[in-house]
Amino acid sequence: MKVLLSWIREFVDVPEPAEDIGKLLSVRGLALEGLESHGDDVVMDFDVTANRPDCLSMIGIAREIATAYNRPLTVPAAPPLTIGASVAVTIEAPELCPRYAGAVADVTVGPSPQWLQDRLTACGIRSISNVVDITNYVLLELGQPMHAFDLAKLGGGAIVVRRAKSGESITTLDGKVRSLTPEMLVIADASRAQAIGGVMGGADSEVSAVTKRIVFEAAYFKPSSVRATSKALGLKTDASTRFERGMDVTAPARAMARACQLLEQIGAGKASGTIQDVYPAPQPAASLVLERARLPGLLGMDVPDANVERILRSLGFTVAPHTGGPYGDGHPSDGWTVTTPSWRVDIKRQVDLIEEVGRHHGFEHLPSTFPGVQQAPASSDPRIVRDRRVRNALLGMGFSEAITFAFVEAIAAEPFLAGDSPVALANPLSEKFAVMRPSLLPGLIDAVSHNRRHGRRDVQLFEIGTRFSPRAETRGVGFAWTGLATADHWSGARREVDFFDLKGVVEQLAAVSLVTLTFVAADVPYLVKGRSAAIAVNGSTIGVCGLLDSGVGDRRDLPSGDAVYVGELNLDALTAAAPAETLRATPLPRYPWVVRDLSMLVDDTLSAGTVRGTIRSAAPVTLSEVREFDRYQGTGIPDGKISLSFRLTFQSPERTLTDEEVQAGMQHIIDALTRDLAATQR
Amino acid sequence: MSPIDTSIGPDRARELFRAELADVRTDAELQALRMRWVGRKGSWVAAFMEALATATPEQKKAFGRGANELKNEVEAAITEREAALAATRQPANAVDITLPGRRPAFGHRHPLSLIRDEVGAIFTRLGYQVLEGPEIEDDYHNFEALNMPEEHPARDMQDTLYLAEPLRIGAGQPLTLLRTHTSAMQIRHMEQHAPPVRLVAIGPVYRKDNLDLTHTPMFHQVEGLVVGKGVTLADLKGTLAAMAEALFGTGIGIRFRPSFFPYTEPSAEVDIQCIKCKGSGCSMCKRTGWIEILGSGMVHPAVFEAVGYDPNEVTGFAFGMGVERVALLKWGAEDIRLFYENDLRFLEQFGL
Repeated sequence: MKVLLSWIREFVDVPEPAEDIGKLLSVRGLALEGLESHGDDVVMDFDVTANRPDCLSMIGIAREIATAYNRPLTVPAAPPLTIGASVAVTIEAPELCPRYAGAVADVTVGPSPQWLQDRLTACGIRSISNVVDITNYVLLELGQPMHAFDLAKLGGGAIVVRRAKSGESITTLDGKVRSLTPEMLVIADASRAQAIGGVMGGADSEVSAVTKRIVFEAAYFKPSSVRATSKALGLKTDASTRFERGMDVTAPARAMARACQLLEQIGAGKASGTIQDVYPAPQPAASLVLERARLPGLLGMDVPDANVERILRSLGFTVAPHTGGPYGDGHPSDGWTVTTPSWRVDIKRQVDLIEEVGRHHGFEHLPSTFPGVQQAPASSDPRIVRDRRVRNALLGMGFSEAITFAFVEAIAAEPFLAGDSPVALANPLSEKFAVMRPSLLPGLIDAVSHNRRHGRRDVQLFEIGTRFSPRAETRGVGFAWTGLATADHWSGARREVDFFDLKGVVEQLAAVSLVTLTFVAADVPYLVKGRSAAIAVNGSTIGVCGLLDSGVGDRRDLPSGDAVYVGELNLDALTAAAPAETLRATPLPRYPWVVRDLSMLVDDTLSAGTVRGTIRSAAPVTLSEVREFDRYQGTGIPDGKISLSFRLTFQSPERTLTDEEVQAGMQHIIDALTRDLAATQR
Repeated sequence: MSPIDTSIGPDRARELFRAELADVRTDAELQALRMRWVGRKGSWVAAFMEALATATPEQKKAFGRGANELKNEVEAAITEREAALAATRQPANAVDITLPGRRPAFGHRHPLSLIRDEVGAIFTRLGYQVLEGPEIEDDYHNFEALNMPEEHPARDMQDTLYLAEPLRIGAGQPLTLLRTHTSAMQIRHMEQHAPPVRLVAIGPVYRKDNLDLTHTPMFHQVEGLVVGKGVTLADLKGTLAAMAEALFGTGIGIRFRPSFFPYTEPSAEVDIQCIKCKGSGCSMCKRTGWIEILGSGMVHPAVFEAVGYDPNEVTGFAFGMGVERVALLKWGAEDIRLFYENDLRFLEQFGL
């Protein structure tokens, strides 16, 4: 809200410089957004919060300044108009328009005097003609939106306030044709809509150079109705902004009197002196009880009674001691009965009064205290600790943490949907943010692509975040790795990242989470078949890892030829499988272990997993670990065969194993491999 | 190197020796020097001894002592130099320790993640539980229960992103929107738990804001909520003052500016003293000395009523702060979009 300092000073004696006024008001609830000089004057731009439509006026801002400086406020008073025959007004929709006032005036349309034009211009309103300027002047001064109709253009010379008929339309002052619906309120003449109530006037009855008689309108329109209409039409005006936040239902008569006074003052015409004011159900002033004890109870600071009363009265409340409290009549007052001024539509509860007192007493007087503790704090979301563990593990493995937008382009999400429909937004910011990510990988791929295109060769990134499907939100971790697996060093050979680097990362995440994962060949649209694995725990798939399909990469502008390994795990499922609650310590073994190496020649179609499985099932219970330590194919190995070497560790918690029993166990394993897998020992 | 010539006498020879010793750099040179001066045959000392054998008694007397002194000095000096060289000699298996080390890999924390953790730690220390919640919400938890019924003008304050199709996940209302603030989580918590409450909810929130230097359509929020008997606005001030000092440094003051939020009454916007100029006024704080950091207030009674708390029995405070805003201020970053590009050159500035 732009206000003119000279205009404010008509209502409150505040000789302080604008900067000082702005500084004080900023800590009283009206933040100063801007300050610019306008000739000898100063325009102050205040940020008025949505709950204070009364401050969208000179008088409203002046009242706040008067209270802040503890100075009297002079309200502009025009001689009241008499109620009487003026223009016929019928309200057919009192639920949308509880009050409508009209007054007729004879006018000579022309330009406004310079001072009036200047004031409007300074406050950001274009001067149009003396009659229209008056309506805008009253809007700025008192906050009450007004309108002027050319009476000659009103069919039947009467005003009907009604809902629009279906199919009805109107050409508004901005020259646009607007289709109306019965939810919208119109100001009509005998036959058709001449204005959209509280939003904008119609072009047909617009005041023009040849207008001789006008009807001033000052009304109260229901906030929700104006808001809905303004939204439906996509039409926001100075009037609609005020009406939708709630205007002063008592203001129309005062505003009308002021408009008529100004009309004569600037020689623009002569008002009839009467007003047709239709207000069938006057609203009583609201009153509230302000309990004395509640003030320090909510604010945590004491405000002297005199200050409570001074602040409220200065803001327009009436204040009387309240005696009907818990102690009954006759006891000392326990607070105040406070009657709310009609313009303070935001005051509904006691707390609203406490805020008024608190802010004008000054939040700078608040002491710094701490809330008392009545019980031990409850524990935090367990995901925080879990995520931290996974995050630390990945950081320790060289991955940097990424945070990407949770919405992605539809085409980027598509390969990751796994048969689900995407969770799409109705009103995305742009196509780049159209759907909620079904996976963390689209965002990570874009981040890898960004880094690669900015000259970064080696990229290791991970993200922990939410994935969205029509069935659930799940927390996951995604990771991506491209470039070197080993840091460049003068001492040795470089190696590009491969499948086993990534699989190792997954295996380490399993280790830090105390779960056992299994890997089977994966078939997903975004990974290369034969270089990707589905990751399962207790038989259910909780993620994948592998080489990114080059087509998917190309579509995200990855440099062609880049090998990007990616993986993703459902952290919620991983946590569910972890034995955190039932974890028990196992004593360290007291007897030595025995290690045996075993090299077998097997068909190269056999997976190491199969061979390991056969070893495990044939082995005695004392086999505690099986580890592949060599895989060889080539010179000395027959075609179609591979040599697999395992290191087997035997150990018993109860006794020292003998050579004989370990040898017997080994023989049993070799027999099973020979029999079941046609393997031969090397 | 001068040829061996005993006629110059032991004193002159000693000077020669000292000069030659000064040039010795290696073991090999030292060995050569030893042979030349005290070797059994053909050395300076041997030559003097031979000369001594054929000398007259006067001559013997004249330089016999000098020759012996030369011999002793040469041997002592060589032994000393030998020890000195040994002390500086690299062991046989020495490495060049000036070559760069083989660094085990480690990644870098995302700055927003660092702030999330730091704020979480501050409030954990102050006895709060830290919670996270769903990001897709229903209208009730995001707006209505927070005193923002349909048609409330305050809904315009946060431009909302809606789902194309409502989702039905679990019981309750269909989920229709992306949460515009973590306040939705407060409602969910209070619905399930009786007071007292002492929590911070941290996580991403979404608004239909165009990307620019200070806005992104997704950002992170920390929301605090304390409910109990006798909780006051002064308690909020003390709490936020403690947080500001913990986050931005000892001595950073705060101030409350009255404001409006539908879910708090009274409401206050909170400024911290400008961390650059410490309040004296600079370009960063637009010469006001203050920088807005968060919104806060006393929980509105309508919010308590929505979750079944009795506003006559309990009071509470709430605050909401943008993680990105803290990060921008704390590290003097100028473009919020950097946080979402995940450029390693940026991330690597933030350690672990």
